[in-house]
Amino acid sequence: MTANRESELDRLLRELPGTVGPTSQAGVIRCNCGAAEMLAAVRSLVAVSGRLADMFAVPVAPSKDHSGSLQRVTVFALDRLGVYVQLSSPITDGATEAFTTVIPGAYLEECEIFELWGVVPEGGTPLNRVLLPPSRETSGPLRGSRHRARSAWAPTEVRAPQVVQGEAFEFPVGPVRGAAQESLYLGLVTTGEELLDAYLALFHKHRGIEHRLVGLAPEQALFLVERCEGQGAVGNALAFARAVEAAIGLAVSEPAARTRALALEMERLYNHVASVAAVCQATGLVVGQAAMEILLEDCLRLNATALGHRYLFNVVAVGGVQHGCDVAALEASLAGICDRFSDSLAALLATNSFVDRLENAGIVSAAQATRLGLVGPIARAAALDLDSRRDHPWNGHYLGLGVATEPDGDVLARLRVASKEVAETERLVRHWLRSSELLDISDMPGQPLGGPFETGPAEGLGWCESPRGEALAWVRVAGGRVGAARLRPASVRNWRAFDDALRARNVFTDVAIVEASFWLTVAGFAR
Amino acid sequence: MTRRGTSSPSLDATAPVRAVSVREAADELHRRSVQAFGRSLHIRTVDTGSCGACEAELRLLSSPRYDLHRLGLFFAPAPRHADCLMVTGPGTFAMDHALMTTYEAMPDPKIVVAVGACPMGGVFGPDEYTHSDLSAQLPVDVYIPGCPPSPLALLQGLLLALDRSQARRHGQPELGA
Repeated sequence: MTANRESELDRLLRELPGTVGPTSQAGVIRCNCGAAEMLAAVRSLVAVSGRLADMFAVPVAPSKDHSGSLQRVTVFALDRLGVYVQLSSPITDGATEAFTTVIPGAYLEECEIFELWGVVPEGGTPLNRVLLPPSRETSGPLRGSRHRARSAWAPTEVRAPQVVQGEAFEFPVGPVRGAAQESLYLGLVTTGEELLDAYLALFHKHRGIEHRLVGLAPEQALFLVERCEGQGAVGNALAFARAVEAAIGLAVSEPAARTRALALEMERLYNHVASVAAVCQATGLVVGQAAMEILLEDCLRLNATALGHRYLFNVVAVGGVQHGCDVAALEASLAGICDRFSDSLAALLATNSFVDRLENAGIVSAAQATRLGLVGPIARAAALDLDSRRDHPWNGHYLGLGVATEPDGDVLARLRVASKEVAETERLVRHWLRSSELLDISDMPGQPLGGPFETGPAEGLGWCESPRGEALAWVRVAGGRVGAARLRPASVRNWRAFDDALRARNVFTDVAIVEASFWLTVAGFAR
Repeated sequence: MTRRGTSSPSLDATAPVRAVSVREAADELHRRSVQAFGRSLHIRTVDTGSCGACEAELRLLSSPRYDLHRLGLFFAPAPRHADCLMVTGPGTFAMDHALMTTYEAMPDPKIVVAVGACPMGGVFGPDEYTHSDLSAQLPVDVYIPGCPPSPLALLQGLLLALDRSQARRHGQPELGA
C-alpha cells in the first residue's frame, strides 16, 4: 500500500464513528459501532466510495436455538484502498435503522435479516420476500423453531402474488422450467411482446445452509459450503476456508495456496465456456452451442483428470488443499482448449445474426451497477473496474493481472468480458505451471487439519474472486466448531440487477439471452 | 442403484468417459426405450433445491459428446408429454407444490428417477427446510448416485429405470426386488 493510501485510510478511520478494533487479519478492519452511530458510519464509508459488500445478522453469542441478542454485521469494500471494513453494531428491540436510504443496494440484505431474524429495518421501503416463501411466518421464523412441524408452512402457491393492471398481464414462468434449469419463478409483465416489468422469486430452493453449518467442525462445514453452489464450489469453499484460517490463525503453504488459485481459475474457465454455450442456446445458434458444449465437456474432463472432480469438489481444504494437481495433464490440454475457445468465439462474434441479438439486450448501466453494488463480470461489463484478485490481494499470485472491462453493459459486453477473462486465466495458469510451485498429484495434501481447535471465539472474513464475482464468507469459530457463519456467493449480489436488466427495452425472447449472459445460479442465492 | 440395493455398473463421476462406452450405453438405452414405451422416452426434470451441478450434467446429455436426441431421448417441454421424471435436490418444502403438480400431471406409466446424492438423503438431513429423501414424497424407481452423477452415470440410471418399467408392465419381478 502506498503512503498516500495509508494516510487516507488513517484519516478515514479517525473520522469513523465507533471504536476501531484490533486488525488481526490483513486486509480487514473491524469496527464496533453503537446502533445510533451506524448510519453516520455508513455515510462516511459511502463518501469515500465504500462499496457495500455484505450485511447480515448473527447472534452475539453462539447458541444452537438462535436465542439471545443479535448484532448486525456490515461489510464495506474499500477497493481503492485494498481493505474491507467490518462494522458490528447491536440490534436492540428487534429493529435497526434502514440503510436503503443511503445505499439502495442494501434492500435485499434488509429483507433477508427480517425473514431470518424478524428484525425490522425502520424508515426503509416496504420489504419483499427473498429467502422464504410468503406462506412462511414473517416474525423471525428461525428463532427457536428448528424443531417446528415441517409441513406447517409448506406453500400451496409457487409465486409471490403481484398486482398487474391495465392492458398488461403477468406471464408466469416457473418454478419448474425447461430442461434441467434451476427452479425460480419469473413473472414477466407484458402487453404481448415488450417486457414492461419482471418479478423474480428465488426462495424455492432455500436450504438454510448457513444455519446447518452451526455446530459443525470446519472441515465438515466445507462439505456443505461446496454444495451451496455446485458451479462455484471452489470460490465459495476458498472464501470459507480463508475465513476459518483467519479466525484461528492458520497459515497455508505457498504451493497449496497456488494450487487453490489454480483450481479457482479452472472453475472460471469452465464457467465462462458454459456461459457462452448458454448464450448460443438462448439465441438458437446451435452450431455455436455445440462447439462450446464440446469445449465445456473437455474442460470438465480436464478438471477431473487434473484436480480429481469435474466440478472441482474436494479440492480446497481448511489449511491447504485436499487434492494435488496433475501438472502434466494440464500442460497437455489447457492450451488446446483455450485456443479452440478463442477461435470459436471469434467466429461467433463475426456472425452478424448472432451479434445483433446481443447488442443492446439486457443493459445494466454503470450507474445501476454502482447503485446495486454489483460484482464480477456483470459489473466489469458495465465499466466498473472491480476485481478482488487485484483490489484485495492476499498473496502475490495475481501480480500484473489484467482486469477486463467493457463500456456498454449489454449482453455483448458481458460476452467480451468472458472472452478476455479466459485469455487472462490461460496466461495465469501457464505462468503457474512454469513456476513449479504447485502441489503435484503425487504429493500429499498440504496441511491436514487437526481438530478440534482449542481457540476461543474468533471471527474471520474470507474472500476471493469467483467466476461470478467477489465471493465472501464470514465465520465465527469457537471450541473448534462453527459458532455462526455467513456465505455470500456473488450470485447474492448480482441477481438484484436481473429484473432491472429485463426492463431495459427488451422483448420476450431476450429473457433467456439475458439470463444466460448473467450466468448466475439460483442455488448460490437460495443457499 | 435401485432402492433395494441392486448392484449397478461403476458410476464413478470422476472417471474419464470412454467414447465407446457412451455409444454402447446410448444404443442400449434407445433399444429399451422403444421396447418399454413403444416410442422414444420423454423426460421432465424438476429441481427441488440442488446446488446446480446435477442440472449442469443433465444439460450435457444433449451436448454433442452424448447427444441423446439421436437415440430418441428428449426433454419434454411439459409434464403432460413426459414418461420419466428426473428429480434433483433434497426436496425443499417450498418446491412441494410444484413437484407434486408435475408428477400428477404426467400420464401413466411413469417412472421416477432420483438424480444425485441429495434426493438419496446424502447431503442434507430432514429438517424444517427439506424432506431429504425423495421417497418421502414420491415412489422412486431408481436412484442415480453421484455428486453430481456424470452424464454417463445418468445414462446408466435411465437404462435401469427402463428395465424396471418394462418388468412392471409385463408382470415380471422387478430387477432388484
